[in-house]
Amino acid sequence: MASFDVMPDVQLYQPVELDDALNLADELGDDGWLLGGGQDTYGWLKDRAKQPRAMIDLNGIQALHGIRESADGIEIGAATTLREIIRDERINRDFSLLADAAGRVASPQIRNVGTLGGNLSQDARCWYYRRGLDCYRAGGNICYADGPEAMNREHCVFGASRCVAVSPSDTATALVALDATMVARSVKGERTIAAEDFFVGPDTHITQMTSLKPGEILTSVRIPSKWAGQRFYFEKVADRDVWDFALVSIAVAMSMEGDTVADSRFVCGGVACTPHRLTNVERAARGKSLSDESADAVASLASEGAKPLNYNHFKLPLMENLVRRAMRS
Amino acid sequence: MDIATYKNDVWGQEVLRGVSWDLLWLVIVAAFIAIAGHAIYAATQKRGDKPSSEGARVSRHDALDRAYHWVMAGSVFVLLITGIFPIIGLEFAWLEIHWIAGIVLTVVVVFHILRSIFTQDLSSMKLGPADLKEALDDTTKPGKYSAAQKGMHAAVTVLTLLVIGSGLLMFLAIDSPWWERTNSMSEALLGLVFFVHGISTLGLVGVICLHIYFALRPEKLFYTRSMIRGWISKDELAANHDPQRWTPDETS
Repeated sequence: MASFDVMPDVQLYQPVELDDALNLADELGDDGWLLGGGQDTYGWLKDRAKQPRAMIDLNGIQALHGIRESADGIEIGAATTLREIIRDERINRDFSLLADAAGRVASPQIRNVGTLGGNLSQDARCWYYRRGLDCYRAGGNICYADGPEAMNREHCVFGASRCVAVSPSDTATALVALDATMVARSVKGERTIAAEDFFVGPDTHITQMTSLKPGEILTSVRIPSKWAGQRFYFEKVADRDVWDFALVSIAVAMSMEGDTVADSRFVCGGVACTPHRLTNVERAARGKSLSDESADAVASLASEGAKPLNYNHFKLPLMENLVRRAMRS
Repeated sequence: MDIATYKNDVWGQEVLRGVSWDLLWLVIVAAFIAIAGHAIYAATQKRGDKPSSEGARVSRHDALDRAYHWVMAGSVFVLLITGIFPIIGLEFAWLEIHWIAGIVLTVVVVFHILRSIFTQDLSSMKLGPADLKEALDDTTKPGKYSAAQKGMHAAVTVLTLLVIGSGLLMFLAIDSPWWERTNSMSEALLGLVFFVHGISTLGLVGVICLHIYFALRPEKLFYTRSMIRGWISKDELAANHDPQRWTPDETS
C-alpha cells in the first residue's frame, strides 16, 4: 500500500453558520466529507483510501459546540470535544457514564481535538477495509476479514451480514445505554433519531455506519433525564490502556429500587457492527440485587446467540465477565 | 457506459467485480421505448372485432400451472425489489428476504421443469422455423402459444436459470439455516458469479417490463384472464388460435 507524506488536493470549506454548512452538504452530497476533529478523516485521506472532492469543516460553527440544559436533560453539540465532555460538571454529575466512556477514547491528544459527532460517526476499523481493499463495505463483493485465514480477532461476534467489522465508537455504547437521541439536520429540516437506530448494521447499509443521509449533518445529541444520577458502569478492554479500540466494552445504566435493579440498559461495544444491547441480560437483571450470585446468574446470557469468527472466540467470556463485573455490588 | 465493473483483488490483479448497475437505467429506458413504439404501432393498426368472452369455454391453463405462474411472479417481484432497491438507494434489511424468495423461485422452477417434462407437451413451447413464418404472416394462427409467447418463455427460461444458478453460488457465501457461510471462491470467480447474476437480473427487468405491458394490452387481456381463471372462450380461441394445432378441452 502506497503511503503519502502530504494530504491530497481537496477543496476545503470552513463555514461559520450552520445554514451555510447545510447548504454545502446538500450541494456536495456524497462528494462532501464532513470534518469534525479529523482523527478518522486524516488517516483515510493520507492513505488515499478515500478521496473526497471537498471537505466541510464544522469546527467553526458555534451552534455545534457546547453542552446545554434542555427541556428534558441535556443537549451536547456535535462539535463539542471529548475533553469538554469529560470535564463538564453536569455530565459528571448526572451522566458520568458518558464522561467515563469519552475518557477511554484513544489518547489525551486525540480527545483534545476529537469531537462527539466524529466519535459517533467514525468509520469501521477493519484493517482490510482501511487498507483500501475492495471489500463489501467498500462497495465490492467479498469480506476479506471473514475467510478461513483472515485476521479477525477484533471483528464481530453478532450481526454479521457479509461484513464483519465492528462499531469502534466508545461513546456510542454509553449514548445507547442512556437512551440518547441524535439530532440530524439538512436543508429539508430537522430529524431526530434514537441512538439505537442511529447506528446501522451491514444488513441494511453495508457501506455506512450510521443512518445519516447524504446532505445531513449530526448537529447535537440529546440525553434525557430518565437516567440522570442513576447507577452507571463503563469498562473497556483493549490491548493497550490508551490509544486503542475496544476489543469489548460495556456501558451499563441501572435504576435501582432499594437494593434491586428496576430497569437497566446493558450495551456492549466491539462485538457487533452496531452498539449491541444485551436485552436478555436486561430482562434477567430486573428485580435482582447486585451481588456475585446475581452476576453469575445473568452473565452467561451476554453471549447467547454469538457466532464467533476464527480468532475472536475470546470475546464471549470477555463479554460475560464484563456483565458479571457490572452486576457486582 | 460500462457493462462490467472491475476491481483489484488482494494480490493487486484486476478482476471482474460485477455488472455495472448504470445499465439498469438503460434497460428501463430501452424497455419503455420498445413499449411506447409498440403502443404507437398498435394504435395505427386496424383492429378487428373483439371476440366475445361469452359462450362456451375451453381450458387454457390448469390450476396448478396458474398457481405456479403467480408464485413465480410473486417471488421474482420480491427478488427484484429486494435486489435492486438497495442499489438505487432505498436501503433496508433485504438479504434474508432475498434468499428466501430465491429459494421459493428455485423450488417452483424445479417443480415446473419436472412437471413440463413428465406430464406436459414440451413441444407446445418449442420455438422453430414455423414460428418465424407465423410471426411474419398474419393469416397463420398459432397453436397453444404464439411465437411471441414462446420467445418470451425462452428468454425468461434462460435468464431465470442463470439468475438461479449464480444465486445459489452466492447463497453459499452467506449464512443459512443449513450451512455456515464459506469464503472459498476466488475473487475472479466471485466477480464472474456476481456479473452473471447482475446481467441476468437486468435481462429479467427488461423482459418483465415487456411481459407486463403485453399482459395488460386490451387485445391480450383474455390471456391474463386465462392465467387467473384458467379458460378462454371458444370465440377467443377461434380468433387467435389454429384449432388444428391446438385442441383444448371444453370447460364450464
